[in-house]
Amino acid sequence: MKEKKSFGKWLKEHKMDIAAYGGLVICIIIFSIVPPMFGESIWTAEKLANLMSNVIVLALLSVGAVFVYSLGNMDISVGGQVRVYALLMVLFANMTGSLLPGILISLLIAVVVAIINGAAGQLLRIHSIIPSLVFMMVLGGISSIAYNKIGSRNISITGMDLGFFKSPIAMVVVLVAEVVVISYLFYFTKFGKNARAIGANPIAAEQSGINLLKYKVICYVIFGITVVIASMFKMGYTGAASDSTGTGFEMDVMVALILGGMPLSGGMRSKVSCAIVGSFTYSILAIGLPLIGVPTNTTFFVKALVFIAVVLITCRKKDGVLPR
Amino acid sequence: MKKNVLKKVLALVFVLALAVGTLAGCEKKTDGGSTDGGSAANGGTIMWLSNLSSGPQYEAQKAYAEYLCDQMGYDFKVVYGDSQNDPDGNLQAVKNGMTSDVVGLILSQDGGVANIMEEYPDLWVVGHNSDFNSIYSDIPQVATSASVKDNEKWLGTLADGHIDGNDTAQQMFDYIKAQGWKSVGIVSFPGFAYPNLQVASAKLVELCEAAGIQVPGGAVEIMFQPLEESYFQEAGRGDLDAVVGLCAGTSFVYPTLLQAKADGLCAEKTKLVTSGFDSDPSLIADVGENGTIAYLSISPNEDIAYGLTLLDLAIKGELYDDFVSERIDAAEYVIDSADDINAVMEMTMMGTVDPEDAQISYEDLQAITSFADLQALFLGVSVDDIK
Repeated sequence: MKEKKSFGKWLKEHKMDIAAYGGLVICIIIFSIVPPMFGESIWTAEKLANLMSNVIVLALLSVGAVFVYSLGNMDISVGGQVRVYALLMVLFANMTGSLLPGILISLLIAVVVAIINGAAGQLLRIHSIIPSLVFMMVLGGISSIAYNKIGSRNISITGMDLGFFKSPIAMVVVLVAEVVVISYLFYFTKFGKNARAIGANPIAAEQSGINLLKYKVICYVIFGITVVIASMFKMGYTGAASDSTGTGFEMDVMVALILGGMPLSGGMRSKVSCAIVGSFTYSILAIGLPLIGVPTNTTFFVKALVFIAVVLITCRKKDGVLPR
Repeated sequence: MKKNVLKKVLALVFVLALAVGTLAGCEKKTDGGSTDGGSAANGGTIMWLSNLSSGPQYEAQKAYAEYLCDQMGYDFKVVYGDSQNDPDGNLQAVKNGMTSDVVGLILSQDGGVANIMEEYPDLWVVGHNSDFNSIYSDIPQVATSASVKDNEKWLGTLADGHIDGNDTAQQMFDYIKAQGWKSVGIVSFPGFAYPNLQVASAKLVELCEAAGIQVPGGAVEIMFQPLEESYFQEAGRGDLDAVVGLCAGTSFVYPTLLQAKADGLCAEKTKLVTSGFDSDPSLIADVGENGTIAYLSISPNEDIAYGLTLLDLAIKGELYDDFVSERIDAAEYVIDSADDINAVMEMTMMGTVDPEDAQISYEDLQAITSFADLQALFLGVSVDDIK
C-alpha cells in the first residue's frame, strides 16, 4: 500500500518528464516498427547519420539555451547570430585558409551580444526579449548588406577539408562534451543554481543576495558560446553560408525545449535533458515521417500535433492556461 | 480535477488525431513506394525538390509529373526546397525525404546542389526551372557548386526563361518599343540573389535610354517584399506608361500597382509587364490588351518532362547518343492578349491542371530519338500552338 502511494507521488512529481521522455520513446518505437512495413528503417547508418546531422545544430543551441530559458528569458536573436557567425567563418576561412580567425571573431561578437542582451533587460527594466529582438533585426540587416556586397546569396569555403563537421562521431562527441560541460555548470556550480533561482523568483533571488545582472549576463554568455559552436556545425556541414542560414532557429529552439518539457517560465524545474529530449524528438519526426509515407507538407501538421499534445500533457498551471 | 481530466482527454484526442493523420498520410507502397500519389511502379521513385509548394503552376507540374512517372514506371514524390535557397536547407530537405527506392532527383533550386550530389553520388540529378548559376556562373563567388559541371550524374538543366539577362532585357524592350511607350519603371529582385535579373535590369535601362524611353529614377530593387506604394510618389513615376517587373511581378508589383491606381498615385493607363502566374480570377480578368497586366511571360509546366525524360533514359542506361549535359533556355508562354490568357486557362494545364491538356504527351516524348530533337520539342512550346 505504501509502495503504491509512493509510486503515485513519484508519478505525479515526474509527469512532465514522463510526458517529454514518453514523446521521444513513442516516436522511437513508432519509427522503429512502422518504416519496415514500407521497406525502410531509421536504424541504418545512413539514417542515423542523417538524424545526427539534423539534430546536432538544434541540440547544441538548445542545450546552451537552457541557461537563458531557466531565467525565464528568451533570446530570439539566435538565428541572426548563426547567420552572421557562419558568414564570418566562411569569409575568414577563404581569406586566411583557417577557420580559427572566424571562430575567434564570432566568439568575440557573441560575448558582446550576450552582455548587451543579458544586461539591457535588467538595467533598462524592459522585457528580455526586446534587446534580442533588436539584435535579430540588426544582425539580419548586417548579413543582408554583406551578401549584397558579396554579390551572391550564398558563399562557400574553397580548398579546405571540413570532413570533421560531417562526421556523425564528431557530432556525438561534441554534443556529449557540451552536455557534460553545460550540465556541470547548470547543476553543480552557483551559475546554474542562481540562474534557476532567478527564474523561479527574481525578487526572492535578489533579496537573498544574488546579483541578477551578473548572473543574467553570465547565462547569456554561456549561451552565446554554444551559438558559436552550433554555427560551426551549421556552416561546416556544407561548407557554406547563406543569407538565410539560421532562419527560424529561434523558434526551433523554443519548440525543442518545450517538447522536452522545459517550463517557459524558467525556474527550478528547468533541465538540460529537456534540450536533448526535445531536439531528438523534433528531429526524429523530421526524418521518420517521410519514411512512413507522410508527404513532406503534412509533416509540419504532424509536428504541430505532437507539440500541442506534449504541451497539454505537461501544462502545469493549476487552471491549465498556457503558457506554463 | 475535472480540468485535469479534460486536459488529458484533449491530449489523448490530439495523439489519436496524430496517429490517424499519420496513417491517413501513408499510402501503401508498391514495389518502390509512392507518397504523393501515383500508381504501381517498379522502377523506383523520382523525387522533386520543388521551389513551389502551392499554386496553379505547382499543382499542374505535380499532376503532370505524376502522370508521366506513372507511364514511365516510377513513383513520384515531392520535397520542398528551402524558401531562400539555402544550401544546407535544400540538402536537409532532400535527406529528410530520401528513401531507399529513390533513383533520381529533379532539383528546382540550385543551393547546395554540390552537397546533395556528394551525399548521394549514385543518383542521377537534373535541374528544372532554374538556371543553376551556382554551377554555371562565371563569377567565382556565385559558382559555389561549379564542380558539379564535371559530374557525370548531372544531366543539366532547363532554365526558367532566358539564361542570359541580356536576352530577357531585349525581349521586354522589343515589347515596350512596339507599344510606343515613352516612360517605364523597372523593378527587379536584388542582383545578389538573381544575377541574371540584375544584368537584365541594367541592359533594359540602357536599351530604353538609347531609344529615348525614360526610366524615371532608374531601376529599383525590391528585397523579396512587395513594391511599396511610395514608389509611385517619386518624381516621374506617377505617369508611367508601364512598370516592368523582373521579379514575379504578379505577386510583388501587381497588388501595389492596383492600390496605387485606387489611391490616385499612378495613372490609370500604367500597365504591368512581368512574369509569374496566379489563377486568381480577378487577376486573370485583368490580363490582356485592356487589362493592367499587358504582358506576361511564364515557363510552361510541360518543362518538367524534360528532366523526367533525361532521368528516365539515364536510369535505364539509354541516354541519347548526342546527349551533352548542359543548361538551356526554356520556351515561354508569352501572354499579351485576352485571347492568349483565355487559351492558356482553357486549354493548358496552367488552367485545367489536367495532364491530358499537356502540350507534350508521353507519346511525343517516346517518339524522340535524339537530344537535339528533345531540346527542339521543348523550345517549340508556345501559346500560339494552343490557339
